[in-house]
Amino acid sequence: MPHRTVLAAFAAGALLASAACGSGFDDDSADTPQRSGPVSLQILIGSSGQAETTAVQEAAAKWASSSGNTATVTPAQDLTQQLGQAFAGDSPPDVFYVDAVRLADYASVGALEPYGDKISNPDDFYESLRTAFTYDGKLYCAPKDFSTLALVVNTDLWSKAGLTEADVPTTWDQLTSVSQKIKSSGTVPLALGDTRDRIGAFMVQAGGWITSADGKTATADSPENLQALQYVQGLLKNKYAQYPKALDAGWAGEAFGKGKAAMTIEGNWIKGALRADFPNVKYTVHPLPAGPKGQGTLSFTTCWGVAAKSKNKDAAVNFVEAMTTAEQQMTFAKAFGVMPSRQSAGAQFTQQYPDDKAFIDGAGYAQGPVNAPKMDSVLADFDTGLQGLANGDPKALLGRVQKNTESALGR
Amino acid sequence: MRTRSESLAGWLFVAPVVLILGVFLLLPILMALWVSLTGWNGQGSPFRSGVPFVGADNYTSLFTEDGLPRQDFMTSIRNNVYYVLLVVPAQTALALGLALVVNQRMLKRKGFFRTAFYFPSVTSSVAISVVFLFVFANSGAVNALLGAVGIDGPVWFDDSRGLIHVLLGTVGVDNPPGALANHSVLGLTWWDWVSGPSVAMCAIIVLVVWTTSGTFMLMFLAALQAIPQQVEEASLIDGANRWQRLRFVTIPMIRPTMFLVLTLGLISTWQVFDQIYVMSQGNPAKTTLTPAFLSYRTAFKDFEYGRGAAISFVLFLIIVVMTLVQRWMLRERRS
Amino acid sequence: MRRQPRGLVNTFVGYSILIFFALVFLYPFVIQLANSLKTEPDAAANPLSPVPGPVSFASFERIFEGTDFPLWLGNSLLVTLVLTAGRVFFDSLAGYALARLRFAGRRAIFAGVVAVIAVPGVVLLIPKFLVLNQLGIYDSYTALILPIIVDAAGVFIMKQFFESVPASMEEAARIDGAGVFRTYWSVVLPMARPALITLTILSFQGSWNEFPHTLVAVQNPDLFTLPRGLADLVSGSLGTGTQYPLKLGAALLATIPVAVIFVIFQRYFVRGATEGAEKG
Repeated sequence: MPHRTVLAAFAAGALLASAACGSGFDDDSADTPQRSGPVSLQILIGSSGQAETTAVQEAAAKWASSSGNTATVTPAQDLTQQLGQAFAGDSPPDVFYVDAVRLADYASVGALEPYGDKISNPDDFYESLRTAFTYDGKLYCAPKDFSTLALVVNTDLWSKAGLTEADVPTTWDQLTSVSQKIKSSGTVPLALGDTRDRIGAFMVQAGGWITSADGKTATADSPENLQALQYVQGLLKNKYAQYPKALDAGWAGEAFGKGKAAMTIEGNWIKGALRADFPNVKYTVHPLPAGPKGQGTLSFTTCWGVAAKSKNKDAAVNFVEAMTTAEQQMTFAKAFGVMPSRQSAGAQFTQQYPDDKAFIDGAGYAQGPVNAPKMDSVLADFDTGLQGLANGDPKALLGRVQKNTESALGR
Repeated sequence: MRTRSESLAGWLFVAPVVLILGVFLLLPILMALWVSLTGWNGQGSPFRSGVPFVGADNYTSLFTEDGLPRQDFMTSIRNNVYYVLLVVPAQTALALGLALVVNQRMLKRKGFFRTAFYFPSVTSSVAISVVFLFVFANSGAVNALLGAVGIDGPVWFDDSRGLIHVLLGTVGVDNPPGALANHSVLGLTWWDWVSGPSVAMCAIIVLVVWTTSGTFMLMFLAALQAIPQQVEEASLIDGANRWQRLRFVTIPMIRPTMFLVLTLGLISTWQVFDQIYVMSQGNPAKTTLTPAFLSYRTAFKDFEYGRGAAISFVLFLIIVVMTLVQRWMLRERRS
Repeated sequence: MRRQPRGLVNTFVGYSILIFFALVFLYPFVIQLANSLKTEPDAAANPLSPVPGPVSFASFERIFEGTDFPLWLGNSLLVTLVLTAGRVFFDSLAGYALARLRFAGRRAIFAGVVAVIAVPGVVLLIPKFLVLNQLGIYDSYTALILPIIVDAAGVFIMKQFFESVPASMEEAARIDGAGVFRTYWSVVLPMARPALITLTILSFQGSWNEFPHTLVAVQNPDLFTLPRGLADLVSGSLGTGTQYPLKLGAALLATIPVAVIFVIFQRYFVRGATEGAEKG
């Protein structure tokens, strides 16, 4: 008897709960109803720092007042996680950053609104960037900006090691020999991020990459990639290169800014970070040293995603339009050091920032991120292997990446 | 009359507790059980039609399918096993040792020491993790101490070398013997299985032992104070030395507390999450990945909610089994 | 008398051990305080020193002006107060009913409560997220508070307590014709003061330090409590740097309320720990 009462109570609780679910059980296949009139837009960004947050907030405020809407910009601490929970919660922000690595994941589950044809003059975006945000033949979102990697050199530590401008390495061999000199002057030569987003550049320089150009075949287990990882392993073993954590820094740019390393391989975002946190560091920017197969770097890009479940899609696309004008992109470039995604702004940028030539030139030989769904955990696993590269077996690591990539692409 | 109103009052009194636990504990567990049988990708509700039902696939991917999910899961199990093997004995021994010293009759100001040892237990795990991140930083306190005695401390949170691998390295075994490297069980090679906890994990182990010992010391202290004085005096007269007294008199007397401390230790060490989240997020090289954190990451970062829930249930099962085995073993030894 | 010399040695060894471990257990807090008052280069260069080179309050200025700390503090206070009040009220209510009132299903409910205590919290992360989502209260104060406003261990402690005190007073009150709730409110609760204080303190400490639940209950930074804010401050986004004095200072401020309560109400904490011990 008592047992039955308890059961009844729980059943009642469950019933109550499900009755309260309302919206949760709705079928979401139908188009989301759109609101009319002035709307309140939620924008979630994965900010690189205070400078970016402030710049986007100002731009959003400008858009809001000129369009009669309101716009709230929220910087996410962990964009992937927050977006994931928001999608599941049926209450995603209207506009949000989408990293090129994540595009296929979001697009394949229908979370993104493919609004590419509604944005004006889409052909003005660099072609490689459009490719990065195209899934199943549809341009899903407008590229926000892009970055490439370059070699950043601390001029004071450089001359302290007895080196001159002419010594800036342009090949792997030169990189090794200057590192030797810097190390003997008592400085760590190179602060190197411990992920494929930095070390991958060496793979490109050796002529390799994780997937084939069309993103359909796994090519991790190749002699080119092995050569690259063995070279990096050599740098690490000789302490020519050190990971940021070994230098008590969150990322390589911080180690560089603190003067703990004479060189680093970072993207153009390092300019803003150095200006804000380490204004006294003097540095120059150079193209990455070329490998056996010539020059190579990585490019990174983010787009303005619009949620398929947004109730304010028109306003959202209108907002993105305002954020991606050449003029607005130059404002962002000034504020936090990114490079405009529109070619029409490119000339103006080069003119204004001659020091960034190495970054812009990188666009010519850069490798974009892997564009395939379900690859994130594979790439994260690759990063894990790279964290232990100094004592690890590069051949086995690449074999593992090959196997995992094949099974991810096969699905 | 009385009983009917009493019955009504009884139900009213427990209603809030029953309702909340039902809706926010029992119901969610059932929901998660369902989700663990689906391929829900985190879009919209998992309870509408169209969410693919995959049966036990999420579970088999953890055990029988060769691939990244199994490799990650087994790595997390390995890490947690080493963590349990070090934390549980260490915290139990330290707690018992401190309790024995504090319990010495001739010592004064016991209250102060008891407070000092217990204090870390009541503070926020997040706040304490922040402190230990600094203590174990490359230029932090621990390495400064090691430096003072001439040891070049490791880069704690960037050091993925396993302790046993390091030890083998000191006797010249740097590369895995072929027999260990070429044969794998459940997705990890034997060489990977016997790695030992990584240096990074050791820092977390130190933190956890440091925070939990205080609570367990209080439990031991309460048990020690309950031992009748005559028992101790009788053993003194028998001429037993200190070790014999501990082994044959004290420990048998506090066996229930010992069981409790070990059980609570086993249960809580399999749940380690906060410290991992704050200090390492499973890095470096996945050597601080634990099932609890992996479950969270799989669901909320990789959007594999089904597999994340499956990991949760496997972990739940592990904890239940641990408790039962422990209970059974202590019963065996008692009889 | 013959044991005198050995006794002295024992005392000395005993104190040495105690003082050593007291240092081990307390010095990290000293380091925390000292380094939060250092400049960043000073903290990196002299992490062990208990005295800041130059005393600098820069990190605390930045905590209050450069981070959302005041917001987290406000949220933590609100959530903790509601949770503590709720837990004390609901747990003692249920504990009393389970200990004293005879009603159908009592045993089953008590067995359920004991079973719930054994359910490990971390395996509930995904389940809790699912239910909050389904109920449409994800990302709200309700989500932060409602699911953990009752606490099975608290019910257990209160039940044990009520069973340990004689029932004569309540019976007298009931004979006088007071209703069950009246009796509970004006006779039983005042008697239960020590247990209530223990429960209040445990609830306060538990709610103030609660972290994993906030991870799956909210994502809006406006709803972050101190542990959540602190965790995000530490895992920090690109470019914010290590900033140890700032992080240590924020962690210190988050520790102070519980520390103060601990020092004042020590014996209740001790009782909580040992009473929790009996539940196994």
